[in-house]
Amino acid sequence: MNIDAKYHPTPEQLEGFAQGTLSPGMNVVISAHVELCAICRKSVSELEEAASEEWLRSTPDRRASSINFSAMIDSIVDHPQIKGDRTTADSVSEIHMLDHSVTLPRALAKVASDGLVWRQLAGGINQATVTLDGQTQCEFLYMKPGSQVPVHKHQGNEVTLVLDGSFEDELGHYKPGDFVVRTAKDLHRPASEEGCLCFAVMDSPLTFTKGLARLLNPFIRYRFRRATSAAAH
Amino acid sequence: MEDVVSGAGSVIMGSLVNKKSLKKPTTPPAPRVASDGSDSDEQLLIAVGNHQDRAAFNALFSRFSNKIYAMGMKLTRNEQLSHDLVQEAMLTVWQKAPLYDLDRGTAQSWIFTLTRNRCFDILRKMKRQPATVSADDIWPQESDIDSQLVHEEEGTMEVEVSKIQSFYGQLPAAQRAVVEQIYIHDRTHEEAAAVLEIPLGTLKSRLRLGVGKLRQMVGTEV
Repeated sequence: MNIDAKYHPTPEQLEGFAQGTLSPGMNVVISAHVELCAICRKSVSELEEAASEEWLRSTPDRRASSINFSAMIDSIVDHPQIKGDRTTADSVSEIHMLDHSVTLPRALAKVASDGLVWRQLAGGINQATVTLDGQTQCEFLYMKPGSQVPVHKHQGNEVTLVLDGSFEDELGHYKPGDFVVRTAKDLHRPASEEGCLCFAVMDSPLTFTKGLARLLNPFIRYRFRRATSAAAH
Repeated sequence: MEDVVSGAGSVIMGSLVNKKSLKKPTTPPAPRVASDGSDSDEQLLIAVGNHQDRAAFNALFSRFSNKIYAMGMKLTRNEQLSHDLVQEAMLTVWQKAPLYDLDRGTAQSWIFTLTRNRCFDILRKMKRQPATVSADDIWPQESDIDSQLVHEEEGTMEVEVSKIQSFYGQLPAAQRAVVEQIYIHDRTHEEAAAVLEIPLGTLKSRLRLGVGKLRQMVGTEV
């Protein structure tokens, strides 16, 4: 599956993905984009190469005294090797929309495989939250055609991967495969004319800044805390 | 490679070679021979994959286990988990060595990604995070292979069928047979090895040689 995405993860995000230093939630959304985007796939393999150089160069050659090397080797070489290549047991997972289905990238298919619970929010937005770790809030979002999210800003970073349809905000129009990054200083007001399915990862809760939507703030913080504390315990 | 030709997109390479061969004619990373004459990591890894070479595995183990342990200490700050990481990562190296080939990049990068992935899973358990996604869902093996195909998306490498056919005819019969199985009949490495009744390792080295020669021929034609 390849899509000409116009918006990509930042270089830092791709680097963290290659190095394995990101939270599971952030890894999942980047993985889904990378699966769709050949350009980022190439970047990731270059970054992995660079990370391995750095790993070998910067690691002191200190022997771990606790390891009994020969015993470990003996136990390892008793195992059979894997001969089969290309172990792609592709569990094709789809989300069914009214008149069509959307095939999910592999990592998201896995995330959705436990089943999604959709809830209706104000403004024609449907949301299915998933808990992947204690640091992020992750959710599938479905925006009905003509829907609009109240103006909000973020206390941390939010990334949104478009899976189907499209949405727009002050800065652009986003189509499937696009990876939209918003930081704490951005105010934005996403809307979708044609309807849109996306996957979003936030590393801290939203704050609504206008009108009645501000009433939602305590509720959202509560929900975020609950989602993250559920993961922590 | 911008110019190896031409023609209407779909004709190009269509019948003879499938997408896999549309790689830009970069040579895969050559096995680096260490300056002291000892085997490179790539040679060691291929020896482990081809014939369970224990001496080669010992050499890889002594080169990488300390590094793996250090990565574990950095990320988990826990000696037992770091010890487990060495065990699990080196076990994966042993088990998956037959799947390694030079097209997947350098041995150190390959071992790095295996270690990163095992470490992700160990950390997730340590933090008691939901087991919804594992490292293998996030960094699938296939993406390593696909990343080699990127240049095709950039719409660069185009070669006339007739030219490829003439190059291909110049390959030694054994290599040609392997290339044919993989690229024309679109078989997996295992299937092709079974059809030709040769060991997987032999198939891979013939494929590597054959494809390398094709790339060279395409390259000099430019």
